[in-house]
Amino acid sequence: MRTYVLRRLLQLVPLLLAVVALTFLLLKLAPGDYVTTLAENPQVSTATLEAMRHRFGLDRPWTVQLGLYLRNVLLRLDFGESFSRHQPVLEVLRGGMLHTLLLALAGALVSWGLAIPLGAWAAAHRNRAGDRALSVFAFLGLSVPEMLSGLLLLLFAAHTGGFPVGGMRSLDWEVLPPAGKVLDLLWHLALPALVVGLVPLAGRMRQMRANLLDVLHLDYVTTARAKGLDERTVVMKHALRNALNPMITLFGYTLGSLLSGSLVAEIIFAWPGLGRVTYEAILARDQYLVVGSVLMAALLLVLGNLVADLLLAAADPRIRDD
Amino acid sequence: MKRCHGLLWVALLLGAVGEPAAGQALRVPMPEPGVPGGRFVIGALSDAKTFNPLMSNETSSTEVSDRLFTALTRFDNLTQQATPGLARRWEASPDGRTWTWRLRRGARFSDGHPITAEDVLFSFAVAYDSLLHQSIYDLLTPYGQKLQVSAPDSYTVVTRSARPHALMLSAVSALRILPRHVLEPAWRAGRFASAYGVDTRPESLVTSGPWTLKQFVPREKTVLGRNRYWFGVDARGRRLPYLDELVYVVVPDENALSLRFRAGELDGIDNVKSEECAALIRDQARGGYVMHDLGPALTSNFIWFNLNTAKRPGGRRPVGASYADPVRYAWFADARFRRAVSMAIDRDAIIRSVFFGQAVKNWSLMTEGYRLFFRPRRPVADFDPAGSRRLLAQLGFRDRDGDGVLEDAGGRPVRFTLKTNANSNARMQMANFVRDDLARVGIQCTVAGVDFTTLINNMREDFDYDAILAGMNGAVPPDPGMCGNFYRSSGLSHFWNIRQPHPETAAEARLDSLFAECLLPRDLAARQRLSSAMDRIIEEQCWVLWLPTMRARLPVRDRFANLQPSILPHRLLWNIETVFVKPRGRR
Repeated sequence: MRTYVLRRLLQLVPLLLAVVALTFLLLKLAPGDYVTTLAENPQVSTATLEAMRHRFGLDRPWTVQLGLYLRNVLLRLDFGESFSRHQPVLEVLRGGMLHTLLLALAGALVSWGLAIPLGAWAAAHRNRAGDRALSVFAFLGLSVPEMLSGLLLLLFAAHTGGFPVGGMRSLDWEVLPPAGKVLDLLWHLALPALVVGLVPLAGRMRQMRANLLDVLHLDYVTTARAKGLDERTVVMKHALRNALNPMITLFGYTLGSLLSGSLVAEIIFAWPGLGRVTYEAILARDQYLVVGSVLMAALLLVLGNLVADLLLAAADPRIRDD
Repeated sequence: MKRCHGLLWVALLLGAVGEPAAGQALRVPMPEPGVPGGRFVIGALSDAKTFNPLMSNETSSTEVSDRLFTALTRFDNLTQQATPGLARRWEASPDGRTWTWRLRRGARFSDGHPITAEDVLFSFAVAYDSLLHQSIYDLLTPYGQKLQVSAPDSYTVVTRSARPHALMLSAVSALRILPRHVLEPAWRAGRFASAYGVDTRPESLVTSGPWTLKQFVPREKTVLGRNRYWFGVDARGRRLPYLDELVYVVVPDENALSLRFRAGELDGIDNVKSEECAALIRDQARGGYVMHDLGPALTSNFIWFNLNTAKRPGGRRPVGASYADPVRYAWFADARFRRAVSMAIDRDAIIRSVFFGQAVKNWSLMTEGYRLFFRPRRPVADFDPAGSRRLLAQLGFRDRDGDGVLEDAGGRPVRFTLKTNANSNARMQMANFVRDDLARVGIQCTVAGVDFTTLINNMREDFDYDAILAGMNGAVPPDPGMCGNFYRSSGLSHFWNIRQPHPETAAEARLDSLFAECLLPRDLAARQRLSSAMDRIIEEQCWVLWLPTMRARLPVRDRFANLQPSILPHRLLWNIETVFVKPRGRR
């Protein structure tokens, strides 16, 4: 087991190097750079723009820029400085990352917490009215874009006043007692988490339903029923556990997409996360900030996959023995 | 305590005499004196990237740093004129080259340290640091030369330029005054660019303006508090600002911004889409806010054709060759063709449908928002489809094969691509209207929405386009002299043919000389005539096809007094020092 984890971690190094190189290449291929975006200001002259470009090293070939970047990262763990903020990249990313993880985990909780029981229930009541209704709901959820569901929920919040219209904390959060702080955070978290969670809910629910149906047709389930166990015990105790196996793999992969899955919700709900930093950085061609956040997302994706495999091994002895 | 009394006394004296006495506090003009307390919460689409006024490159940063740091003068957005700031008065020598600035005595930074000529000299020195490349650099180097700055004593600064310049006052006033005693070590150590970044501890950020930094939470909010030492007072001698706090709340989505205002979580927003105006006006009384009409914006929208030619030898094209397809270039280069296209565009329809009536026709870079330079004019190329068809026929464009699209004398169909930035809804919609209008006179126009950076690259670097629909943001101060990049044939924003080493047409040569005259310190009337003459040339030549300009409306909660929203930035906060919360009885 340990050699397996070690091997996977070693594989990370060339992968991340490739991600960095590819990001640099793509940034280079896209027209314009950070200085181009400044040209919007009608008072700035060409000479000043060129001088800026030189200061940021943007006038050198991308391979040289990449080499310098890698040297700084490997030798000094220096991920460069954001052009627009004059601040180290890691510092810019640090705060946003925690907020994004919080939102993404809450979203995952919503989607998994609903998908498994609803999917199982639908499988147990196959082709009855409840199952049909859930199918309709699932396909609606699949087809409504996050942008729309987000804005609708925001509209709901604005009209009822029951929820805050975006943001992560109240304006006077600092003066609240500790319990109030947590409650305020949860209150702000509810709607964005719902939006983040609803999108993948449909797919997962259908997946769960299909898995359980497959298992319910297996011989050992028939045996259990033949033993005279009641249906409830058959489903909950015998079938469900085996049906969960593929879901664990799926869960692991969602860990990987945690950082990138909530961009739309972050923008609509003014959630101060990493997605917005990345998005703004890309629009402003803030080179090292883009590379830094892509690197973070890649790292998380790979680690998420690793966790998925480990979880699966823990749940299924057959895989562990391989 | 003693100082407080002295100040009060001087302020009372000011109130009685009405003229600033030698040094001391600045009496800030305002509709009515107010009471301290309260806070104003404004929504912002993005947060500040830095609090360093010299290193900030975009409005989300400058709208905060402008409140934190004072300049030698303050700008009155209503009269659109400079008024005393840190400098209580200034005079220019008869030849217009030497300007003497008399600083206010008793002015202090937020840490109590006096603001003197040393700090002004330091701010100039940093602004002129050739390693930093601040965007203010070009403004501070009229005719490409740095000013000579000296300080005969602690409260006098003298600036000298090689030649007189009409915008000297504006140039010098753009420089924000930084505390030398705090920032000089960082500058000497080469760390100025990252000094006063958003990670600065609020208490160590020493400011010269009315506000100080209280708290910064990345991507959530920026809280400014009162600078107790700021030199501005009201008619009763009470120190400004009145408000305890000014809060910028980050709301990155425009739709969410207005929802949040409606929910009462924001006191004002600086950004309202035309389509929301009607609903916001309707709900004013119920929502407890007032919708201010600021009049037409400073932003102009227009289309231009690609007349750029290769300027330097050694490129892929020989010098003088057009970047646009030679056949199309021949059409575009004819002012009559350009006029015919302009006459095909139904601007009233655009105003009705794209701007929901919240726009006006505009025929100049000096929109109605430029109070001192706007001149109403009779347009020469407004909507006239019959005239447009006639003109095209005269130029030899006819539908030779009966497919509804005109062909030129060589039988080539008249079609071109119109690029614009895809993330601007209004521009995309305008482009679609133009496409439909042109189809009605037989010109086939294809709209292509591209990413903004790509568009900038197209217009500045590779010239890979036929025509572009874009616009210009307003200049501050609102003066044609600030728009040299547009008017001058050598300019970077002389979009249709940028960076000409020598003016390529007689009309552009004339434009260049008019602009050069416009930079000379003349009386206002003379400069207005020059500005008008430049606009006439551009309109006659139809280098740009003008499109409507949006009318700006902003909602603000009605419990605040002294708010005087203006069309110039910052539209809500420019006089926030004087804003106060109305006492309960008056609401």
